[in-house]
Amino acid sequence: MPSSTSLLFFRRMRLPLTVLIAAYSIATVGFTLMPGTDADGNPWRMSLFDAFYVVSYTGSTIGFGEVPYEFSKAQRLWTMVSIYLTVIAWLFSIGSIISLMQDPAFAQALRGARFRRAIRNYDRPFYLLCGYGDTGRLLTRSLTELHHGVVVIDARKDKIDALSVEAHKAPVHGFCMDATMPENLVSAGLQSRWCMGVLAVTADDRVNLEIAVIARLLNQRSAVYARADEAGVAANMRSFDTAHVVRPAEEFVYRLRLLLTRPHTYRLYQWLRSSPGQGPPTMPEVPSGRWILCGFGRFGQTVYRLLRELRYEVTVIEENTELQGLPEGTVVGRGTQAETLQAANIEDAVGILATTRDDVDNLSILITARDLNPDLFCGAVANRWSSGPLFDAAEPDYFAQPGELIAGTILSHIRSPLLSHLFRRLDQADDAVAARVLERLLTDPTHAQEPEFLTVRLSKKRAPALHALQQRGFRLDLGVFARHPLRPADRLQVDALMLSRGDEDRLLPDTATELESGDRVLLACSAAAARRVRVLLESEAVAYKTVTGRELQQGWLFRKFFGSRSPARP
Amino acid sequence: MNISRVVFGFFVLLALTLNFGFFLGEIDNPDHHDVYELFAALVVGLIATVMKLGERSQMSAMLLASSLVVDLHLIAAVLVWAISVHVMDVGLTPKVMATIVSLSGGALLANLLSVVLLTMETAGYSR
Repeated sequence: MPSSTSLLFFRRMRLPLTVLIAAYSIATVGFTLMPGTDADGNPWRMSLFDAFYVVSYTGSTIGFGEVPYEFSKAQRLWTMVSIYLTVIAWLFSIGSIISLMQDPAFAQALRGARFRRAIRNYDRPFYLLCGYGDTGRLLTRSLTELHHGVVVIDARKDKIDALSVEAHKAPVHGFCMDATMPENLVSAGLQSRWCMGVLAVTADDRVNLEIAVIARLLNQRSAVYARADEAGVAANMRSFDTAHVVRPAEEFVYRLRLLLTRPHTYRLYQWLRSSPGQGPPTMPEVPSGRWILCGFGRFGQTVYRLLRELRYEVTVIEENTELQGLPEGTVVGRGTQAETLQAANIEDAVGILATTRDDVDNLSILITARDLNPDLFCGAVANRWSSGPLFDAAEPDYFAQPGELIAGTILSHIRSPLLSHLFRRLDQADDAVAARVLERLLTDPTHAQEPEFLTVRLSKKRAPALHALQQRGFRLDLGVFARHPLRPADRLQVDALMLSRGDEDRLLPDTATELESGDRVLLACSAAAARRVRVLLESEAVAYKTVTGRELQQGWLFRKFFGSRSPARP
Repeated sequence: MNISRVVFGFFVLLALTLNFGFFLGEIDNPDHHDVYELFAALVVGLIATVMKLGERSQMSAMLLASSLVVDLHLIAAVLVWAISVHVMDVGLTPKVMATIVSLSGGALLANLLSVVLLTMETAGYSR
């Protein structure tokens, strides 16, 4: 069964090809019928062979002249007829091919076929990303930095066009199609065995929900990461095991809560959950007193609830008085004007949070408020990624961009699933523990910029070499990861942040802790150290040398002669 | 009545009849087999092939395959003719003629299959 593209091509080419064949055969037969003479003047007619030869070079406008003998008048007459006939037939067929190539429907079909072929031939892990907005772009950039392939689909053509001119470090395939159609997701590789995860980050909750449902049903193995703006949709997604649901407003408020209550955890969280390449934020100085909240939309309402919960006094400034749940004493106005801010008693407030939907308004609020009260703690929402530089320049004490929040959170989950675990534990632990984690990460100069996180599981599948040694009775402790296999005196920059054993998690475990089969360890290390650790997990020789300090006798012959007990028991 | 089906059927049938006409006669006698008829059979066969391109059904896949077989046989026959008469200058000896005619006989079988398939498909429509 031919694919639809070639079908379309051949169907359109039927008439031109028929015309071409007919023209050639008419011209050929005509030549054999024309009377002529040979070199000696005897009557002579072309055979079909000669005639086809003449038509072949005439039709393609090559023109060798009159062969094998000089033409008679009748033959020349027919030559003229056949020139016009065949040339017109050629023009017609070539014109048809060109117009077919330029046909948008055909071009789209061709692109679709090429896209599907590329997906079918994929032989490395990739992520299926739906929606190429701010979040999608950030995710694509970061995932390709981590050398994961990305397949992007978006319903808007201009976004895919924008993607096609960007340069990435790993293969990225983009195609314009509707992600809510199951067949489209399948043709984009949803059921491929290399599909690691589906990222539903379109701006439409409904669409994200649909993608999450489809992905859940059609491929149970791949993880689904979804964005949801509405609380109801988020709850719906969580109800069917979506790996990770990110609500920008929730995330914003969660970070704000950390900032207000647990500054060290906040620094760690903000650092590890931003896009790569950013250092940890500085220690926030949070004043206590009355806050001003500008904007009572989706972000504003959740922030208001948080501030009330933390027993802060809050004055809300909101333009739209029809909004549900507006608290008493709300100042009506835009917050961008000094009068409104003064009406909200900006002089004796300690902080202001600008959460309107308009980035220019938010910036303007910050600048005006700072003019009126320079000591204010300023927080803001940057709705669009493109206004990020403006916010950077305005230097608020805390600002977040929804796209970055979503991308950073999903990304940290992808980089190491245990990292989410770590933050859950830190939530329950004292803030001082977070301070110690942060300190341990920051004392190592290689970590300060880009710590790599490794999740090591001591199992036969994930760590074959180490697991084998452990099973033979060797004592393994956490320090083994930091030991250099060749220079025992050197210490590699590898820090164990957490040890998970069964349901129990140990934060910042001691290096002398003995490892057991099935343990999961979250390691923070430099990229070079990460490579060494991976080798340690898989190579028996390296693992043996690291654990015992002795060479492993490799090979059947050595084992035969130097003891069958190798590797020796301790 | 669908005019495109008429044209389609016309070419498929014409390819068979022309082929049959050429095949008819003593197998090694050049007087019984006309070169123009072979040429016409090839041209009509090619056109029939082009018409079958781009069809979707299982039946048309078989039709296209049989048509390609026809073309292959007839092109081989034409090549044998052209090479023996014009290139090697051996002329239409009984041996050469027999080769050409038997090749066209193979094409005839494939053409016959084409017509049978087409008839079956058409009969299937009316049910």
